[in-house]
Formats: sequence, C-alpha cells, structure tokens
Amino acid sequence: MMAALLLVARLALGGLLVVAGALKLGDPSAFASEITNYQIIPSLAPYLAATLPATEILTGAGLVALPRSWRRAAALAAGGLCAMFLGATTLAYLRGINVDCGCFGAGSGPITVLTLLRNLALLGVALLIGLGAHRK
Amino acid sequence: MLSAAGSVGLRAGVLLGAGVTLGFAGNALRPDGVALSTFAAPSSCSVADPGAGAPAVAVFPPGEAVRLCGDHGVLIADARSSVEFAHGHITDAVHLPCIASGAVAGAALARLAGRHTLVVYGDSTDDARPVARELGRRVGRPDLRIVVIDGGFAAWSRAGLACSSGRCPDCQASERRSVGPP
Repeated sequence: MMAALLLVARLALGGLLVVAGALKLGDPSAFASEITNYQIIPSLAPYLAATLPATEILTGAGLVALPRSWRRAAALAAGGLCAMFLGATTLAYLRGINVDCGCFGAGSGPITVLTLLRNLALLGVALLIGLGAHRK
Repeated sequence: MLSAAGSVGLRAGVLLGAGVTLGFAGNALRPDGVALSTFAAPSSCSVADPGAGAPAVAVFPPGEAVRLCGDHGVLIADARSSVEFAHGHITDAVHLPCIASGAVAGAALARLAGRHTLVVYGDSTDDARPVARELGRRVGRPDLRIVVIDGGFAAWSRAGLACSSGRCPDCQASERRSVGPP
C-alpha cells in the first residue's frame, strides 16, 4: 500500500515538475519579468529564468526515471525547489504584491492562498518521497 | 567515505547543478534566450507599443481638459511621483504613478466603473500617454474615452487652473505595492 502511494506521489510530483519546467521554456524573457515582479532579488531574475526550467525538468525526470539509489537525492532536490517556490510566493502574498505567479509559465494567474497551499502540499509530497525512499 | 546523508546531498547537488548547467547552455544556444547581463524588466510605463488592441488616447490642452472637472463620469489620474502629487495635483485626482500596479491599479480600475472618461496627466504629455494606454488596455472598454492633458501638470499650473496639495494618503500604499521599476 505504502509502496503504491509512494509510486503515485513520485510520478505525480515528477510529472508536475517536468510540465511546469517545460511551460516556462516558452519565453525566457517573459519569465524573467515575472521573477522580477516578485521584488526579492531582481538582479537574479535573468539567471533564474535561464536555469529554473531545466532544473525543474531534470529534477522531475530524475524523480520518475532514476534508479532507487538516486530517489532520495531527487526528492531532496525537488523539496528544495518546492521550498524556494513556497518562500517566494508567501513573501509576495504577505507583502501584498499582486503578481502573476509564473508557476506554469505565462498566464498562471495571481498568487492566492490556494497557490501557497498547493506549494506547501508539493513540499510535503517531496518530503514524503524522501522519507519513504529512505525506509526502503 | 561519505555518510548516507552526505551522499544524498551530494547527489541532489549534482542533479541541481546539472540542471543549472543545462539551463545556461540552452539559454546561450537559443536566439530568444534571456540577456543575462543586460536584462531589464519592462514596466507599464516603458512599454513602447502595447499592441494592436491598445486604445486610442486623445490629447487635450489644459483649457479643454478643465471642462471635464466636476463631472462624476470622469476619473482623473496623476501619474507623477508621490512627492510631486503631495506638492500639488488636480482636485479629485487619484495618485496612480507608472510603478503602481496590483491592488492600487486594481482599485483605480474599479473606480472607472460607470464612468465614461479617464483623464491622465504626468510631468509631460509623453510620460502620461503610456500609463493612459495601459490603463485603457486593462479596462478593455471601447466606450471609455481616454484623455491625456497636453503638457502635463506644469501646463495645467501655468494656465492657473484649479489644483490642490497636501499629503497623499494612497501614495505609501501605491509605492509599497508597486511591481515594476520606477
């Protein structure tokens, strides 16, 4: 039962990261503008826009396809990405910045409480996979 | 020899590092890649051409624009800085600098409901026009007349038309919630 749950979690989170990364590849400059709008470290925006999509895709693909010995590492990397997304969206929400989240490329919609809950849930799933893989 | 946790951390670092390397390589290879060292995010005021759907903006000299004052169907927006707004602005104008967005711009747009004309002014004609066009585009109402005051607030003041001054209650919020560079 637990093994099936972990498999579903791994495929779901991995697939979601691959899709999210792929959608961000379409227009890197527009994605950089969206990151700038968060007003956290605007000077890093172009570097994040260039590297985040590929990092998400590789981490997501790693979660799905890498051998068992690498699963905890992929879960840790995915957890790091999810924690970063959760931190950025929470900061924007608390500061009252009405910004498009850019979570799935252009037109992802504004940051709401649901966005924060979704990112928190994804972080929880990454932790679950990491802990589950550890017990194997 | 690495501990199990160290090994996991190292492998996670390898994964992330590979992603970063691939990202930089891909960005360098694609013609529409983001300019890493010279990138500047556009703001609503720096958009040169909002596109084919951008509304038409009429330019009124102050003497003509003053006839719109007192009409409840007209919203006047001041696109200058909060300091300039506090020194003096057209009576009943709302402060809406080009850096304003999010809740502040949304509130201004909400106030356009039921009005037929939006008047925007800045330091000059040219710095008010993109704000007016962007607001008009966001509202998306073909029936809304959009007017920019020719010569901006300086021309309005020179003409001796009605204005007021004082602390701007919305300015702090508009600057705190801004989303683009000034």
